[in-house]
Amino acid sequence: MKIVVIGGSGLIGSKVVAKLNQAGHEVIAASPATGINTITGEGLDQALAGTDVVVDLANSPSFEDNAVMAFFRTAGNNLLPAEIKAGVKHHLALSIVGVDLMQDSGYMRAKKVQEDLIKQSGVPYTVIRSTQFFEFIGGIANQATEGNVVHISDLQFQPIAAEDVATFVAEAALAAPVNGIQEIAGPGRFTMPELITRYLKAGNDPRKVEPNQNLQYYGARISYAALVPAGQAKLGAIDFENWLSSQLANA
Amino acid sequence: MKRDKPQVPQLPVLSQAVLEQERKMLLDLGNDITRVRDKNDLLFLFSRRLKRYFYFTHTIITLIDEKAGTYTPFLLDNESSPIRKHPMYPELIQAHFRLNEPFIQAILQAEGPVSFLLEDIMDQPGSPVFLKVNYEKGVREILMTKIMMGDKPMGFIHMYTDKPGSFTHEFKSVINGIVPQLSGAVSNIIKNEEIHKTEREKSFLLDFSNEIALVRSQTDLQAAIFKVLDKTMGTKLAMIRLIDDDNIHLSTFMCDPTLFGGTKATFDQMSNRKITIEEPYTSKVLASREGLIFNVAEEINSGNDYAKLWATTGLKNMYSFPLRVGDRNIGTIWLLANKLSKLLLKGICAQISIAIANIQANEKLLAYKKQLEDENDYLKEQIRTFYNFSEIVGNGAAMQEVYRLVSLVATSGTTVLVLGETGTGKELIARAIHNASTRRDKLMVKVNCAALPANLIESELFGHERGAFTGATDRHIGKFELANHSTLFLDEIGELPLEAQAKLLRVIQERELERVGGKQTIKVDVRLIAATNRHLEEAVRKGQFREDLYYRLNVFPVTLPPLRDRPEDIAPLANFFVQKYARNAGRKISQIAPGAIQQLNSYSWPGNVRELEHLIERSVLLSPDGILKDIDIPRKSMAVQQNPAYPTNRSLEEMERSYIIEVLKRCGGKISGVGGAAEVLQVPGNTLHSKIKKLGITKADYFARN
Repeated sequence: MKIVVIGGSGLIGSKVVAKLNQAGHEVIAASPATGINTITGEGLDQALAGTDVVVDLANSPSFEDNAVMAFFRTAGNNLLPAEIKAGVKHHLALSIVGVDLMQDSGYMRAKKVQEDLIKQSGVPYTVIRSTQFFEFIGGIANQATEGNVVHISDLQFQPIAAEDVATFVAEAALAAPVNGIQEIAGPGRFTMPELITRYLKAGNDPRKVEPNQNLQYYGARISYAALVPAGQAKLGAIDFENWLSSQLANA
Repeated sequence: MKRDKPQVPQLPVLSQAVLEQERKMLLDLGNDITRVRDKNDLLFLFSRRLKRYFYFTHTIITLIDEKAGTYTPFLLDNESSPIRKHPMYPELIQAHFRLNEPFIQAILQAEGPVSFLLEDIMDQPGSPVFLKVNYEKGVREILMTKIMMGDKPMGFIHMYTDKPGSFTHEFKSVINGIVPQLSGAVSNIIKNEEIHKTEREKSFLLDFSNEIALVRSQTDLQAAIFKVLDKTMGTKLAMIRLIDDDNIHLSTFMCDPTLFGGTKATFDQMSNRKITIEEPYTSKVLASREGLIFNVAEEINSGNDYAKLWATTGLKNMYSFPLRVGDRNIGTIWLLANKLSKLLLKGICAQISIAIANIQANEKLLAYKKQLEDENDYLKEQIRTFYNFSEIVGNGAAMQEVYRLVSLVATSGTTVLVLGETGTGKELIARAIHNASTRRDKLMVKVNCAALPANLIESELFGHERGAFTGATDRHIGKFELANHSTLFLDEIGELPLEAQAKLLRVIQERELERVGGKQTIKVDVRLIAATNRHLEEAVRKGQFREDLYYRLNVFPVTLPPLRDRPEDIAPLANFFVQKYARNAGRKISQIAPGAIQQLNSYSWPGNVRELEHLIERSVLLSPDGILKDIDIPRKSMAVQQNPAYPTNRSLEEMERSYIIEVLKRCGGKISGVGGAAEVLQVPGNTLHSKIKKLGITKADYFARN
């Protein structure tokens, strides 16, 4: 099968490309660097010619509300008609668990637009909604740090390893389109302060975690269980301990 | 990579903190629920607490009405409901949704909470309309959970969201965990409400009872009843009917004429119609122990005329109760309402019954009191007046004719017209006729038509209902009714205004009347005697008196002769009055001097017997000894008699002469000088001297009589 992975050089994209290559498929890792640009439409038609599956893992270079909305809207509006023209049989995109419960956030609104464009495009599709990656924990801690204290709301949190995400995406790319949403998450559920405390401790970070009940996530107000899957979710195999030890080993 | 059972939903491992958090959440919810005092707090706290953890838009709790096979909203989360601006909202929160339809049955069958996408279910046959309404306002998914009481479903928690996927496993499991506590809270609220309701009803009955205890009149009662029914119970009084004294008919005692708005004419017609206790609805109600409930819609279908009227109010049921005091039925009460509490109604009806019985007793008491007062007045008047049959004095031929006519007509019921000048004793003759008739046991009622203000004559004659006109605060029984089975004496009939004449004519013709402002026709049996000193035929000619009335009255005219036409009766009358007033004044006057009799006979008596009577009364008081010598004949005639020397046409010379003599007398004969007559007359002394000479005035003229 010919598979085009948009954003094929990113954290998940590179892993997915590797996995699909390993499975013996013809994989094109598309990114502006490889001359395929979903925002300008440059190189799209050529890349999509004869393609069976498009995996869209691209992310906006800017997270500012308007920029991110423009990014996903433009990308969708360029990519999806091109896919129809090329006769693509399966469009697969990666989205976020609870995206429609967190519409306070500009980023989530943009991701929702991306999902909706796919649903309305007519291309057979699969949307994989994932929870946050273990890899994000450090970033979450950093954005919530004031001085030596990390202010974290006691949200439920069920992060997944990027490796597992890549596995699920690769699996789904090779499976039939579900024309719906598939949720994926990590194998364990925690509260955010709990996990960040453990993360910092493992890294001998001196910062203190201060839990609160403000229900804040990156400045957006969400509900307590918005970040964890609603119902049937596929759970990753790598748990936090495993992930942490592999991280420490790498370091 | 190990992956076990990828087909079934995989459940994450929950960390200690997550478990703790969920446990705390359930505990908090539980605590909230136990703290609830007011029923609306429950849903508010539940919803606010839960919203911290999960996303949803609003929630309501509905309760099952097992008997009706429906469920209906009980607790509302008004603040956050997106559909509260929907035009159907007010209807929805009152609605009763049927239980035997697939949507709600699926929930009743399910073990725990079930969620549906509205899109999938709202258009299915039998789906309740609130699904569609919510969808129209942006709601996308619903989570339904049974609330149980014991092992029976008691109601449902409905939770709604505009974001599909909000109802996660966690959400459902938390709801499942909280349901038992929520059920407990709801059933507590229901029980509490029942207790409150009973308490309210009781205190309400107590208040009503206090209010009713103060009621003394129908108006008060009406006010009290309207207040209670309308303001407090949302009920409309259609009508109270009371059984009449004959124990067969029922008449309308009280009704709310505003109730049937547009159909007023029909209502008036129906409410005025007298019905009997045999009337099918009434007899059913009277026979029932605790009243009957008529469903308005059903009654319309079965062809009940009243029901069409009932339907105009929009209320669903007509409650009818027998009004009883002890075991005795006193009437029926008809109330329109959607739903009424039996206990409350029973209490209210009992109180209304007693109040009505009290009012009836009160009214009877007042009527008796009034009757006694009226009778008392007439008796007093009769004692005061000296006129009665045996005291008619006079044996002259003219009077003999009157006596004959009186004795002829007295025993019949014929209308008598007594004619005669003022003071000829018309009332005396009327009383004589009455006292000689079979009606003599009852009082003759007298109306002086001239003494009444024109606008009150009608009410005086025919009576009026309370409220018939401004100031008519009580029911008034007219003279006609008062004179039932007796005689009505209409004095000064010639003064009766024309409009009253028309009414009077009708009563005379039909022998029935209506009180002013009344609707009831009252039959009367009254013997009429009318009297006037006016020339009625002439009044008829001038258009001041109705011709038809004149002929009605002029059935049997009795004309009383004036005193001047029966001089033979003057002496006996004078003696009669002398005795009467001598006795009253405590003097012993045994006879009248022949000269005085002569004086009386020569007078023309324009005031007839009455003038004679008053003249004698005065003379008796003025007379010092045992014989009445001087009669104080009225001044105008006295003046003429006392100065016969003054001719009516004297010459200037005569006037001059007599005036000069008078002044000379006053001045003691002094003609000129200070204080002399010339000074008074303002003429020179010489002039006066020559005038005295010329007129032949001598000293004897002004010194002669002292």
